[in-house]
Amino acid sequence: MEEIRDYLKIAFQNLKTRSLRSWLTILGIVIGVFLIVSLLSLSEGLKTTINKQLKAMGGEIIIVMPGDESNPFASMMVGGVELEREDISAIQKTEGVDKVITMSYSSAISRYNGEGKTTFLGGLSLRDGQEILSRFEGWTIGEGRWPIFGKNEVIVGKKLAEDIFEDNIIVNSDIMIKGRKMKVVGILESLGSKTDDSFVYMDMDVYENITGKKKGSAQMAMVKVSDGVLINDIADKIKLALEKTTKRRGGTDAASFAVITAEKVSGIANDILSVVQAVIVGFASIAIIVGGIGIMNTMLTSVRERTKEIGIMKAIGAKNSAITSIFLMEAAIIGFVGGIGGTALGTIMAKLIEVYGQVHPMFYFSAVISPGLVLFGLIFSLVVGCLAGFLPARRAAKLRPVDALRRYE
Amino acid sequence: MVNDKSLIKLEDVWKIYQLGKVELTALKGVILEIFEGSFVSIVGSSGSGKSTLLNMLGCLDFPSKGKTFLKGKDISLLSEDELSQARGKIIGFVFQEFNLLPNFSALQNVMFPMIFQGIPEAERVKKAKELLISLGLKERICHQPSELSGGERQRVAIARALANDPEMIIADEPTGNLDSVTGTKIMEILTDFHKNLGRTVVVVTHDPKVARYSKEMINIKDGEIISDHSNSNESLWKK
Repeated sequence: MEEIRDYLKIAFQNLKTRSLRSWLTILGIVIGVFLIVSLLSLSEGLKTTINKQLKAMGGEIIIVMPGDESNPFASMMVGGVELEREDISAIQKTEGVDKVITMSYSSAISRYNGEGKTTFLGGLSLRDGQEILSRFEGWTIGEGRWPIFGKNEVIVGKKLAEDIFEDNIIVNSDIMIKGRKMKVVGILESLGSKTDDSFVYMDMDVYENITGKKKGSAQMAMVKVSDGVLINDIADKIKLALEKTTKRRGGTDAASFAVITAEKVSGIANDILSVVQAVIVGFASIAIIVGGIGIMNTMLTSVRERTKEIGIMKAIGAKNSAITSIFLMEAAIIGFVGGIGGTALGTIMAKLIEVYGQVHPMFYFSAVISPGLVLFGLIFSLVVGCLAGFLPARRAAKLRPVDALRRYE
Repeated sequence: MVNDKSLIKLEDVWKIYQLGKVELTALKGVILEIFEGSFVSIVGSSGSGKSTLLNMLGCLDFPSKGKTFLKGKDISLLSEDELSQARGKIIGFVFQEFNLLPNFSALQNVMFPMIFQGIPEAERVKKAKELLISLGLKERICHQPSELSGGERQRVAIARALANDPEMIIADEPTGNLDSVTGTKIMEILTDFHKNLGRTVVVVTHDPKVARYSKEMINIKDGEIISDHSNSNESLWKK
């Protein structure tokens, strides 16, 4: 044990005397570990955020929207295709469906205290939806109340109320949307996504009046299933029902609808993110391996430069194992210090991005730095250091004292 | 003081170097035995094979032909680690270029051989300090080799050679890089080691003045020992 401590001291001192070179080599490892830790913690955070939002969507809710299920995120952006009145009634008639909330959205210029801004408008069938939204989607009115049906009343998201206009929107103030005066009767608590928090929400009737949208249609629908049914079965039935109605309407060219459950989306999202993470680990590992080659290069140079030193140490009684240990420890220290630096920098970077995400209109983003990730960063770099040091250390140990000391006559 | 116990014995030792296509025979069938408690100088001109002979005596190298015995043991039968360990314990080296480890202080340099023998730290520090102080380096204990004069460096090297209480010191041109006054001092230290502790000293040199300190002088030329005789000049020795 004492031996190991002694060798460790010697290794440290050797590195210290070549400090610039040691630090540059360490930097190589720092960069690799930094990449792994920062990118993985961010992608893990992304996973958590998505799963959190999907959880907010509710396990008993099915979402129907135009597009394809394999890419539900893109379909949100696709405009044009809508659920027609007959589609919606087909959904309502499907066995096991309890309630359907329809939803439409668009953007329009809103004026508040004379200041005009483009905002998102959201129309919801609040008559049926209010209860579901508050019970299953986590919609809570922070201030004020829900709109009364038939009146020109709206509620606004938290971000819209606080950040978009110069003046904070207050309850019972007026907001002009498309030239119509609406009364803000409530401000929602945050819904967990910056986009969702930037909406002006109103009853579907009011929305139709303002935007001139076709009556009875909607861009998407949220379906609450009856208690005790299997949600994925109902989703399949809805899909079938929709296929029938669309076929009747437009033949084979009919637009398809994505019928999504939280389970399905989280499966897809996690699949995508797992691939992303694998790619990150792959690339960052390459960076660490390059760092490892840097260690090997430094150590080989060091063995060559210190040939005489090695000879002296052997002459005064160093065993091969002592020389191997000293060189291996030097490489391991470089790797480990690089690991510590990379983990620290990666953590800082991830946290910075997290803070940046919170003040900018992206979505809420958290960096997840798990102990496992930190441990992985440290151990990986240590292992790379040891592997990279192995060959140089062996080469050093194999030197014969007389060759190392040789002075040709 | 010399007894008949053999410390190192070379038996018909040949050393042949392969330099490209040319074969260079550095030692030609050397037979030599160093006994415990002797003070031997090996004298030869440059290229005579004396450094090769020193490597053999120090068990730093193996003969191409013939055998080396360290305290009666054939070193070719020892493992590398066993040989390193034995070398570190039995032999202390003093080199012409001092060969201190440049990044370590005088104290650390002296402690190195003890580290490799597994001596506990407290004991190591105590011993190393004692040695450095006894060689007049009290003020230089924590200095790096680059901060020391040639004579001081050689004294640190001697302290290092003495660290494990070796039975023998092998010195390769120990005064080669020093002025004559400092050189004399170094030789006196080695003589004291021999005289006071009864230990063996082997000095390799080309300088007859240095050789005069020894009791036995071996002349080597072209890889062969050409004479081996007791030193006639006993005056230096007796002073």
